[in-house]
Amino acid sequence: MTVTAPATQAPLLEIAKVTKRYPGVVAVDDVTLSLEAGQIVGLVGKNGAGKSTLIKIVAGAERADEGYLKLNGEPLELHRPHDATVAGLAFVHQDLQDVGSLSVAENVRLGLGYPRKLGLFVDWSKLRRLAAEPIARLEADIDPREPVGELSVAKQRLVMIARGLAQRAQLLVLDEPSASLTDEEIEHLFAVVRRLRDDGITVVYVSHRLEEIFELTERVIVMRNGQLVADEPTASLDRTSLITHITGHEHAQTATERRASRGVGGRPPTEVVLEVDGVSADTGVNNCSFDVRKGEILGLGGLVGSGRTEMVRAVFGADHRQEGTVRMHGQEVQGNHPSGSMSAGLALLPEERKTQGNIMDFSVRNNITLASLDRHRMRPRVPAPLPRSEKQAADRRIDRLSIATPHDRQLVRLLSGGNQQKVVIAKWLEQGADVLIFDEPTIGVDVDGKEEIYDIMEELAAEGKAVVFISSEFSELVGVCQRVLVLHEGRIVGELEGDEVTEPAIVEICYSQG
Amino acid sequence: MADTTTNPAQPPNSADSEQQRSRFGVDLLSIISLYGVFITLVACIVIFSVLDSRFIEIDNLRTQLGLAAPLLMLSLGLTVVLAMDDFDLSIAGTLSASAAVIVVLIVNHDWPWGFAVLAGMLFGLLIGAINGLLVSYVGMPSFITTLATFLILLGVEYTVSDGRNITGRADMPDLYRDLGIGKPEPWTEFTSPVWIAAGLAIILWLLMSKTEIGRYMYAIGGNPEAARLSGINVKALRAAGFVVVGLMAVFAAVSQTARTASSIPRVGISLLLSSYAAAFLGAAASRQGLFNVPGTVLGVIFLQAVQSGLTILGYDRDILDISRGSILILAMLLTAVGARRR
Repeated sequence: MTVTAPATQAPLLEIAKVTKRYPGVVAVDDVTLSLEAGQIVGLVGKNGAGKSTLIKIVAGAERADEGYLKLNGEPLELHRPHDATVAGLAFVHQDLQDVGSLSVAENVRLGLGYPRKLGLFVDWSKLRRLAAEPIARLEADIDPREPVGELSVAKQRLVMIARGLAQRAQLLVLDEPSASLTDEEIEHLFAVVRRLRDDGITVVYVSHRLEEIFELTERVIVMRNGQLVADEPTASLDRTSLITHITGHEHAQTATERRASRGVGGRPPTEVVLEVDGVSADTGVNNCSFDVRKGEILGLGGLVGSGRTEMVRAVFGADHRQEGTVRMHGQEVQGNHPSGSMSAGLALLPEERKTQGNIMDFSVRNNITLASLDRHRMRPRVPAPLPRSEKQAADRRIDRLSIATPHDRQLVRLLSGGNQQKVVIAKWLEQGADVLIFDEPTIGVDVDGKEEIYDIMEELAAEGKAVVFISSEFSELVGVCQRVLVLHEGRIVGELEGDEVTEPAIVEICYSQG
Repeated sequence: MADTTTNPAQPPNSADSEQQRSRFGVDLLSIISLYGVFITLVACIVIFSVLDSRFIEIDNLRTQLGLAAPLLMLSLGLTVVLAMDDFDLSIAGTLSASAAVIVVLIVNHDWPWGFAVLAGMLFGLLIGAINGLLVSYVGMPSFITTLATFLILLGVEYTVSDGRNITGRADMPDLYRDLGIGKPEPWTEFTSPVWIAAGLAIILWLLMSKTEIGRYMYAIGGNPEAARLSGINVKALRAAGFVVVGLMAVFAAVSQTARTASSIPRVGISLLLSSYAAAFLGAAASRQGLFNVPGTVLGVIFLQAVQSGLTILGYDRDILDISRGSILILAMLLTAVGARRR
């Protein structure tokens, strides 16, 4: 496992002329790059740019069609993921691949073998000591005995990093590690990454959040359409030039500029469609009251864990409302469940598109029409949908939202993250609600995709619908929302309107709460 | 993160690539995996027919379909719950217990057969409702819950029948018996259970593949939370699935008892495994690996053909069971290979 560095200072990892083709697509196109020891390297690119395929090749999960890899100057043959582990390459994926029911210690040593007593029984105390060591290096407050499933997402990621350390990794790849982490947790993660770098470990940091790339990395690698289009020191880039590399076209507008150019800052409309009065739920939602007006985009700001998702779930009836009323167009919404809210004209586009938004094994068409199937009946009283009518509706949405899919019968599972998100949006546009709640619709979506989602929300507002927009990236709220409510611990603690809506103002409210 | 299979610049066209692969003859495996169940069935029929021509005689066909009718009814019900990703093991218990109830009511208590069947239906409805309530509304896992009701039902059956064969060939009302064994319907070659099973298959096929309810059921099987957030009444539909399977078990019980003119203890158990085998064979035969009515029908015909062929060739029960088990493994294997190809 320990590789002695040869006398000539060869780079840690060399990727040379690597190409990988899938039917109809060149996923990675003749990529050559080398990584030095002890660097933090950002890897960015749009969804489908080839980042994950490249990572899979280095992880031994996919084999390159052409090209080769070298580790410390020696040729590296990877036939299976275990070979990469042995070579000292560790990967922390976005969807955590730990075993939730096992303890932290068991997860850290997973795949490395557990210490034995009498050659047969697991030596638990030794296992815990072995696991405690890499955890201590991360300065993480984690009990090795605790089941991983009960830890926060941030701590679970740290456990996965600790596993990499236990494997004596020389290279650590972190894929969107900051997703669903609070600001403090992200700070800690950054500190950990920097310390690992100081210990000589190379960290590849994959993220769509460009601020993080600028704050953390020393060098940025940009991929586009399978090709490596830029490999430069971070210091030589600014936001505009990086976005240009990622998208391939000039495309840089800060949130404030966007706000000004789109006239977002004007006075919000006044006609109320949705009134929420004193809603509480046992998910921590505490006596929330607000209204949503026809033709506006209302932002919900707050830190991760501030109760925004929980509040809209209680309003929609996805979670049980213990107290409070919800009125649509002045009429109280009947039934404390999603279908009641839907008939009243309310829609919720949930945060977790894979687990809550789509039926992954349904076709694009069947997902799009799922919430409005009764509109495709052969005859009004016969509850049997007409495939032709469904296809028309689906094709129209695919076209309007430019969903990248070969045809409407493609399984949603096979689409990229951004396109899966568009399918969720298409479903609710089809359903035709008057108030649409978008919960973190831009997570894991690339720059162009985000812009498309803003456009959709703005179009809806212009059509006289109302949009509620939850985002943890406050700049997004500033870019599109006339009004922003700020939540903290399940309560609404601030409201900003018009010119008051600025990033510092939102941050100020978030952090001024005890 | 990035998903390279759908690069917007060059959307992969699955139809094209399939064509390409089969032109080069590399993709035989995925063809086999898709139509494997069907191909194997045809092969079995040809082989059995060559080995012994009695296999394809119309008499045998008539007998075999009559024998297959209860299995088909049971498997159809099962398909509904399996599509929603639930299990129902209690079907064998419902079948056995309702068979005992119906026959005891007819033979020992002189009930008119129509009322006895109606009582059986209500019994099946009740069992289905209890299962549905416990699994869907209380939130208990379906596998273990229906295993528990299965055990209870076996006890009920034992109490009702005293653990004995209740034969009543003489006492059985002609009409009831004729349902199963009697003269074939004048206008057909087949007995009524075959027609009833076929009718039920068509109804459930329409329900599952052509209606909103069916779409919702598959949505629940795919992702119950996404289905619920799309406004689908997940609890009610899952519970309804258990009621359907309960009723189908009673249909199977009626066909079975009418054919043998008796209630044999534990009659359902031998059908339990076959019905799962049929439903899984059917899923293996479908493009997306989903449980579906035509597939289940195919699975039942397959199992019955193998059973008939091996019986005609003089093989014993042990060989029969071994071959049925092997067929199921083979079908699963083909599905697994197919899934990796897809």
